[in-house]
Amino acid sequence: MKAFKFLIGYIGFLLLVSCSTDNPVTIPFENPEVILSIPENFPEVNNAFYANAPTQYGVSLGKKLFFDKRFSTDNTISCASCHIPSNAFADNKPQAIGVEGRIGLRNVPPIQNLAFMRFYNWDGSKLELENQPLVPIITHEEMDSSILEVMGKLKEDSEIVEMFSKAFGDDEITPYRIYASLAQYEYTLISSNSVYDQVIRNDGVSFTESEAQGYETFQQKCASCHSTELFTDQSYRNIGFPINTDSNEAGRARVTGNMEDYMSFRVPSLRNVEFTAPYGSFGQFATLKDVLDYFDEGVLFSENLDDTFKSNGNRIALSDAEKENLIAFMKTLSDSKFVQD
Amino acid sequence: MKNFKNILLLFTFSIAMLSCSDSDDAPVANDVTLKFLNTFGDETIVLGDATSSTATENTSSEGQVHHFAEVKYVISNIRLIQVDGTEIPYNINDLDNGATVVNLSNPSSLNYVLNTIPSGEYNQIKFGLGVRSNLNTLDQVSFPSFYALAGENDTEMHWEWGTGYRFTKIEGFYDTDDKTLSIHTGSTVEGTIDDESTYTQGVDAYREIALDLPTNATVGSSAPTITIKADFDMLLSGATNTIILGEGNATPSIHTAANMVLFVDNLGGNGTSDTTGMFSIESVEN
Ligand code: HEC
Ligand code: HEC
Repeated sequence: MKAFKFLIGYIGFLLLVSCSTDNPVTIPFENPEVILSIPENFPEVNNAFYANAPTQYGVSLGKKLFFDKRFSTDNTISCASCHIPSNAFADNKPQAIGVEGRIGLRNVPPIQNLAFMRFYNWDGSKLELENQPLVPIITHEEMDSSILEVMGKLKEDSEIVEMFSKAFGDDEITPYRIYASLAQYEYTLISSNSVYDQVIRNDGVSFTESEAQGYETFQQKCASCHSTELFTDQSYRNIGFPINTDSNEAGRARVTGNMEDYMSFRVPSLRNVEFTAPYGSFGQFATLKDVLDYFDEGVLFSENLDDTFKSNGNRIALSDAEKENLIAFMKTLSDSKFVQD
Repeated sequence: MKNFKNILLLFTFSIAMLSCSDSDDAPVANDVTLKFLNTFGDETIVLGDATSSTATENTSSEGQVHHFAEVKYVISNIRLIQVDGTEIPYNINDLDNGATVVNLSNPSSLNYVLNTIPSGEYNQIKFGLGVRSNLNTLDQVSFPSFYALAGENDTEMHWEWGTGYRFTKIEGFYDTDDKTLSIHTGSTVEGTIDDESTYTQGVDAYREIALDLPTNATVGSSAPTITIKADFDMLLSGATNTIILGEGNATPSIHTAANMVLFVDNLGGNGTSDTTGMFSIESVEN
């Protein structure tokens, strides 16, 4: 792939040379790859990342576009209207709110550590970040626009056009360039500086008594699913949360058509969970305490309820002290620097 | 590349024209009209809302009454096959010029004209119900007309979350108390476009249909009309599945891949033992 790109570059160069007689020589553009600081204990980045590795100007273009309200049909909503930086790029609404106050199907997930994910969205409907942006752009309840409409608006903006040139070598605005730059920006959104991370890295920080006990309970009762440094094993499970009765919802089965996946959702990362209330695929729970109370009282039974629950009387029993400590621990996953940037 | 192909095509055509222009004056090509006749059995479907007295009522093999308020489906990848087996593809990689949305509430959409089909005797037609995965990406830049046609407010054939087209959209009512039925189908296949080995998840709802013509379509001096019947009685009482709407068998609202294949296989065939689904040839007029 790399070699192929090189070849294209080479042919481009030949063309330039061969017709440069009366044209001024074009200066080859420089756009270095961004060096991301990825903690050693994080999983490997995914394959799509390598095909679209973040570059300096790609990322700055992507960031600019992420905050650009012209992506919505009436210029009122940007990606960042739903994915709010101070909420770890989630928001505080039960379900997403798009143009004209339209209410979407699902809760807005945070955008963090996506370079390490193999699936996107609650149901894993997308496998590559570059394939994701078209969904909010065209969805009636989100931005309700179209890619030609967006391209038309961007073309009018000479500053943006200039940024495309810097990022891609010429000023053509294409759908792929839009998606790729957005993805490049998202790849750089890495959250790895929480109190938890500092404790794990022995950065001279330690857990409080309560956090330490919460961490222990977490490892016993939660880490089978909320595992790895991403706090998700990226599997799909039905854990008996209250059901979204909208006929467009089927959980993972919406994609696979397999009824064994009915109302199963991707295990969410719990990083920065303090900032992303309410919780659940359509915001069923207002607080972390509500989630834990629900686990303790018992979840909805169904044929495909996850075994962890099925074999424990459809619940995760938790004492009041355990709940308190678990919440204290989950708050150590807050990355104050990440939500400020 | 495209241009080159076009020029080549034009060139080939002109040679073909020249070489036979003095023997007889039969044209080298002519139009073929595909006419879609949408029925319950032998009765042409009349749409209607919940309380309509004019809507065509159908009863499934399991005794479930139902009628429709809205029926739409996408036809693409059309190929006409000559008696010697030569396959003539009709803009199969160009949704703007080779695909259409049949919409029962829009009479003009029931006729789809295939332009400049080479003269000859044809005895089979193949087409797709839906859109092949490699073209099913809502690519507005490559196919702006089809994108617009499918996306119109009264058509709504974009499956936004799947970034593909809806292949069928059926809205209606069932049982004597007229409960709502709403069946949408589409593909959820994910992977790198044009590389099937990377399609690691999802359901392919595209179906290939192959229909033998009862009499040959003679293209040339005549411009035949092929009437294709789509019998929606098969929706619930199909060759592959017998479906009862409601608890237990299939939910009456299919808006996701869950349970969808039951309906897809009935409408478009299961791709193996059944390659006609609800379609058959009603007539060929030369
Ligand atoms: C109206 C609110 C809204 C807007 C605007 C919006 N999103 Fe989202 N976003 C969501 C929701 C809701 C989901 C979850 C969708 C699902 O699971 O089906 C989501 C999911 C995502 C995901 C997947 C995250 C994960 O953890 O897998 C990414 C990436 C994303 N959005 C990026 C964007 C980009 C880029 C834009 C702008 C082009 C954008 N979003 C605009 C609401 C929004
Ligand atoms: C069997 C796997 C599994 C176990 C065990 C598990 N979870 Fe989860 N958790 C999930 C899944 C799947 C979801 C999303 C479910 C949904 O939305 O329907 C989830 C959702 C959550 C959420 C809501 C997150 C959000 O962003 O909406 C929190 C908080 C949470 N879990 C905490 C915990 C804690 C604390 C424990 C241990 C007491 C735990 N989980 C045990 C699988 C699990």
